[in-house]
Amino acid sequence: MRVNAGNLKKGEFIFFQGEICQVQKADFYSPGKGSALMKARLKNLISAKNVEYAYKSNEQVEVLDVTSVDMQYIYKDKENLHFMDERTFNQSSLPISVVGGISRFFKEGEKMFVYMYNDKPLTIRPPMSVRLKIIEAEDAAKGDTVSGAKKPVKVETGATVMVPIFVKVGETISINPETGEYTGRV
Amino acid sequence: MKIQTKVKNLNNYKIYLQVEKAVNEFMETNNYLKVDLPVLSPALIPESYLEVFETEFKYFNNKQKLYLTPSPELFLKRLLVAGIGNCYYLGRSFRNSEPNSDWHSPEFMMLEFYKVGVNYLQIADEILKMLKYVDNKLKSPASAKASHSAFQATRDKSEGKQKLKFNKWEKFSVAQAFSKFAGVKKEELFDEKLFIKKAKEKGYKINNASYEDLFSQILASEIEPKLGRNGYPTLLYDYPRQLASLAKLSKDEKTAERCEFYINGLEVGGFCTELNNYKEQMRRFSQESGKRKKNKLINHTIDKGFIKALKYGLPFCTGAGIGFERLVMIFANMTSIDQLKLINIY
Repeated sequence: MRVNAGNLKKGEFIFFQGEICQVQKADFYSPGKGSALMKARLKNLISAKNVEYAYKSNEQVEVLDVTSVDMQYIYKDKENLHFMDERTFNQSSLPISVVGGISRFFKEGEKMFVYMYNDKPLTIRPPMSVRLKIIEAEDAAKGDTVSGAKKPVKVETGATVMVPIFVKVGETISINPETGEYTGRV
Repeated sequence: MKIQTKVKNLNNYKIYLQVEKAVNEFMETNNYLKVDLPVLSPALIPESYLEVFETEFKYFNNKQKLYLTPSPELFLKRLLVAGIGNCYYLGRSFRNSEPNSDWHSPEFMMLEFYKVGVNYLQIADEILKMLKYVDNKLKSPASAKASHSAFQATRDKSEGKQKLKFNKWEKFSVAQAFSKFAGVKKEELFDEKLFIKKAKEKGYKINNASYEDLFSQILASEIEPKLGRNGYPTLLYDYPRQLASLAKLSKDEKTAERCEFYINGLEVGGFCTELNNYKEQMRRFSQESGKRKKNKLINHTIDKGFIKALKYGLPFCTGAGIGFERLVMIFANMTSIDQLKLINIY
């Protein structure tokens, strides 16, 4: 589908200099002189590198028609994350560098959506929130009553998250995987 | 668009108030007069790429078109002509067809100030002094207490990033920056044909694109992301004459005495030695109006009184415009204008 670059949105997939990229950020920008621009940060899904590019906001850009397939995350090795389509048992893999830092919150066996284009996996659709158990945490220091005080804890995937001091080992918390922020106890 | 209430931004908003207070203090101490100005005007300065908000005043059968001002320039320059001296405005400005984004909002706070008797490079020093003043004020213990340590909290978050200092500029002329970051040679930058050819080689689409379009595109794609990232704000100066706006041309007439400054890849403000030749101003007005028609923008009434005022005599001065929310974003270490608002129209 062709759209004005001014309507590009975060998360969409486009071709940039012949390679598939995902829009990480797209902000309208008016330089005052010259036509308005859409400043985009594009992540190349092969090299995993980000590139900045300013489109003229009325420039036509082809947004790719991708599908998202429900898959199970099975394991990771040094470089890749491996997924399985539960209906066909087909396996797909994605480089950790492409998926990014959110993969530190993925638990084996969890379901997630993988974006596909022409039967090739591109990247994953980040879940809105993940629920993980706390496996390591220090007790809150006595007398530490400053409101909003936080401490680091380790969750079952090994990632470290900052949580309010009242949260304890063994509790399950919800996390926004994109920002790595604690969003509540479950 | 909807009305959003964002009380969670209260602490950020308190930082906003502190920056506002510090800027007002700095301006007062340095003898700038604060001027309150209308935001509705019956006529505007024509700007070729800037869409305006149009409204109408009605009284029985009388009707008059009014426009929300995209900048306070037309008012402040009249006052300068009348001899008011150094002055500033910190208030609303409006730009249509510019959607909300992390650093843009159709309605925004503009800090605009004029200093008489100095050129663009001299006012750069004044801006640096102001940035340093605000930075020091925000670091003071009293200020941290007033904002319930919100500022300290955002400072802590930014630890690990390179700390920003305001005791000098990192400076590049536009020609130096195009050569260093985009591989565009000086002779290509100042020759429209060669420049467009170079842009095409670089993969930019040149169909229906003007020199100004491609200049902005290369600047935004290849240069701006690298500016203001070495621990100091970056000053970009001497723009090609096509990008002069209301700036005075330099002696060789190749460049305009115009600067923009950047912090963390973000353009925060700009300033220029003001054009005070009314004939040249008239010529640029008619050129800009022609482009407005071509770009199918609102055909607003042109402020002829502005030309009259210039004819009377604008003193030699430099004017600076700073996106105030962007300035606060830097001091508060925020990534979006949205994080500063208690009520947001989005």
